[in-house]
Amino acid sequence: MSEAALSSSPTGASRSPLRTAAPQSGFAPWKDPSKTPMVRFENVVKRFGDFVAVKDCTLDIYEREFFALLGPSGCGKTTLLRMLAGFEKPTSGRILVAGQDITELAPYDRPVNMMFQSYALFPHMTVEQNIGFGLKQDGMPKDQIAQRVEETMAMLELSKFGKRKPHQLSGGQQQRVALARAIAKKPRIVLLDEPLGALDKRLRQTAQFELMGIQERTGTTFIIVTHDQEEAMTVSSRIAVMDHGEFVQIATPGDIYEAPNSRYTANFIGDVNLFEGKVVNVAGGFAEIDWGPGLARFKAVAPEGCAGQQQVWLALRPEKIHIDLDKPTDASNALPGKVVDVGYLGSISHYHVELANGQRVKALRTNSSRTVDRPISWEDKVWLQWPAETGIVLAK
Amino acid sequence: MRRWLLISVPYLWLLVFFLIPFFIVFKISLSDIATAIPPYTPVFDFSMGIGEFISKLDFENYRFIFNDSLYVNSYFSALKIAGISTVLTLLVAYPIAYGMARAPKEWQPTLVMLVILPFWTSFLIRVYAWIGILKKEGLLNLFLMNLGVISEPLTIMNTPLAVYIGIIYSYLPFMILPLYASLEKINPALLEAAADLGSPPWKSFWQVTFPLSLPGVLAGCFLVFIPATGEFVIPDLLGGSDTLMIGKTLWGEFFGNRDWPVASAVAVVLLLVLVIPIVMFQSNQEKEREAAR
Amino acid sequence: MRRFSWFNATSIALGFAFLYIPILLLVIYSFNESKLVTVWGGWSTKWYASLLQNEGLLNAAWVTLRVAILSSTLATILGTLAAIVLVRAGRFPGRTLFSGLIFAPLVMPEVITGLSMLLLFVALNMDRGFWTVVIAHATFSMCFAAVVVQARLYDFDKSVEEAAMDLGATQIQTFLQVTLPIIAPSVISAWLLSFTLSLDDLVIASFATGPGATTLPMKIYSQVRLGVTPEINAISTIMIGLVTIGVLVASYSTKRASQQQERELKAVDAGAK
Repeated sequence: MSEAALSSSPTGASRSPLRTAAPQSGFAPWKDPSKTPMVRFENVVKRFGDFVAVKDCTLDIYEREFFALLGPSGCGKTTLLRMLAGFEKPTSGRILVAGQDITELAPYDRPVNMMFQSYALFPHMTVEQNIGFGLKQDGMPKDQIAQRVEETMAMLELSKFGKRKPHQLSGGQQQRVALARAIAKKPRIVLLDEPLGALDKRLRQTAQFELMGIQERTGTTFIIVTHDQEEAMTVSSRIAVMDHGEFVQIATPGDIYEAPNSRYTANFIGDVNLFEGKVVNVAGGFAEIDWGPGLARFKAVAPEGCAGQQQVWLALRPEKIHIDLDKPTDASNALPGKVVDVGYLGSISHYHVELANGQRVKALRTNSSRTVDRPISWEDKVWLQWPAETGIVLAK
Repeated sequence: MRRWLLISVPYLWLLVFFLIPFFIVFKISLSDIATAIPPYTPVFDFSMGIGEFISKLDFENYRFIFNDSLYVNSYFSALKIAGISTVLTLLVAYPIAYGMARAPKEWQPTLVMLVILPFWTSFLIRVYAWIGILKKEGLLNLFLMNLGVISEPLTIMNTPLAVYIGIIYSYLPFMILPLYASLEKINPALLEAAADLGSPPWKSFWQVTFPLSLPGVLAGCFLVFIPATGEFVIPDLLGGSDTLMIGKTLWGEFFGNRDWPVASAVAVVLLLVLVIPIVMFQSNQEKEREAAR
Repeated sequence: MRRFSWFNATSIALGFAFLYIPILLLVIYSFNESKLVTVWGGWSTKWYASLLQNEGLLNAAWVTLRVAILSSTLATILGTLAAIVLVRAGRFPGRTLFSGLIFAPLVMPEVITGLSMLLLFVALNMDRGFWTVVIAHATFSMCFAAVVVQARLYDFDKSVEEAAMDLGATQIQTFLQVTLPIIAPSVISAWLLSFTLSLDDLVIASFATGPGATTLPMKIYSQVRLGVTPEINAISTIMIGLVTIGVLVASYSTKRASQQQERELKAVDAGAK
């Protein structure tokens, strides 16, 4: 896709706030080898003494992307972000912004602005002064600063609070001021370090959509660091899942969920059932997996390079499993079991089903009708079934 | 009931031994000197009526103080010396406090301890230590002459310079500690945020660090300026006869001339001079405490 | 992990050199054989020996010690009460005046405090001497003690006290069994601070004292006015040594107590896992 095609394509529509986790069709600059990435990490390594925080990371992030670095605390995601902002220097490797090496630039000379986890609002300045701080550093004339500050405050519905000090604001307002300050300079890249971590769940969801709206309107590249997988799924165009200073998988939210490349990703994003087994036969694109003596073999789509006798794990999302009281007649995979736990959540119900070998399996069922003839309950003998296409065979 | 008992014990103690004495000082400043023991006309003579009591009061001692250049000069000189040494102390203390606040966390308690430690040793002894260093044949001159920096010994002892050095030295911990406390509280992320928004380190200092350390600067300046204004030991031991300071004048008036009423009047005027900075200091402290909650 | 930058390290080093070199020189020259301060005549402890012969100095030291112990104990009790009033008694008429009375002595020039104390004692017809010095010292030290204890009370979790009372302890039981042990380290440092304030004070003692109660600083002061002598260096060194040991022991023991607590907490944590 060429530059012109990108700008004319309705990226805005495809990335509306109501978009689900399904991959969007129009916006995928990472598939275009002719594009220069906005940010490039090139074999970046960061050590703190003996501790290796980031191990040889290479990553391209493109213009207008909303990119998420996702992982548990201590996985190196914040260090990566701080190296991009200039607060940490890579032990080795390079960082490029729009093709230009910025590895040696001081933080105050970089075209990136950051929204801090603790917000780091200047307590002795008003909201206006906080937002205008970066513009003042660039020597922008006062009237232009005032105008830009006003625009930014209007965009984030902060106009009423311009004269207040940070401690006179609620948590949600402080968060918006921090965001306003980071975007006021119209930087090429905005970095967000756990930006919504301090908000309660309800406020967080609203703030996520607000973030997406702002990112879309400004057309800026956003890079967010988060440990919250739901947040990453909601806001981002692509996610890099990190563990122990390495990227485990870099893909769109949809691919990460539907096609995880490892048990780590499958486990980290959403709920999953894992069955350990051995490939015994590959035929017609399908693999047969033996997962225990006396147990019916699984049938699943064989991944590339899948060979016989390979140890694999079958990953199965709970909502992909159909739970029924009667034995299915023509299913590729069917397992008998006993319900040991039921969780009724209104819209859906969770079932924990114990199989003959003692393993427990989670299954979901949408409560689509108000009355069910006979709801599935504790101690019920049930059958679990799923088509061969829904299970994912993982080699690691 | 128990609450009132709890309140009244320290309250009464301070009223009797701290507040009431000031009224007595004021009363005596209005009476006449007498060659007796105690060397002034009685304060409480309950035999006379209120009218007579009031008619006996006069402001003669105050007229005397304000007409005698010795006292007026002592006040101004004390304020000047205290003011200049407060600024100098701030300049000396700031880099130290800054360095401490930026030091590795595990070092900080030790550094604070090392600042406090000299404060525990006697004030008098610490001032005394400087005599041996500053006097004409003292260690500083000896050192500098051996180095060949100077050929003639410097005259520092018994000059205002010696008093400045003495005040800076003695009051340094009082400046460092509040400065350190407010510098240490500054979230390092604020400086990162400033840098991130385009401010180089020296600009960040003036835009972020210094304004946020102002409560500490104020507290430290008050803690140095107020007691330094009434300082006696330092000008007496290091300043020589040429350095006028009101604390020294008061001491001389009391112990030398044994003129208690004039000494009292001097004290009352000194207190009036200091009342504004004292009240400012206290409201600054109250504000800090409110903010801390 | 933070390290010293060269600027910070230099400013700290210079600052501490300024703070400590004068004291160090004083201590070194107390071991000087020569009577002249500027001439180094070799190591000697003869000035310490001559101190032991100086009865006036020894008497003054004994008076000072007794004054310091009595006044600091009194000051700690009064100061702790005052701190509790400031932090816990809520609003009461005259509260502003009370907090003013606590904070004013901290910055009040000593000559004023001393003079006003003296005039009070004269007006009350009290015989000036040992006890008037104790009262005077207790009065200004209690304010320092109050500030030290108050700081601890402010960051004290009040719900601990509420828990004690909820479990049936009376107010006094709560104070003695819960509050006091928790604030104990600050009460001890308040006592130490009051003790050294009393030990060091020259001005207020000079005003408040009478015949027969000459304190050590008064004695030193009258000798210093006559000139620098190695004997004063020697007694100064002894005082510095005592205070330094006291402070180091106190801080070491509180540090050990907190480390002990940490270890116990860790052990409990480990046990819970």
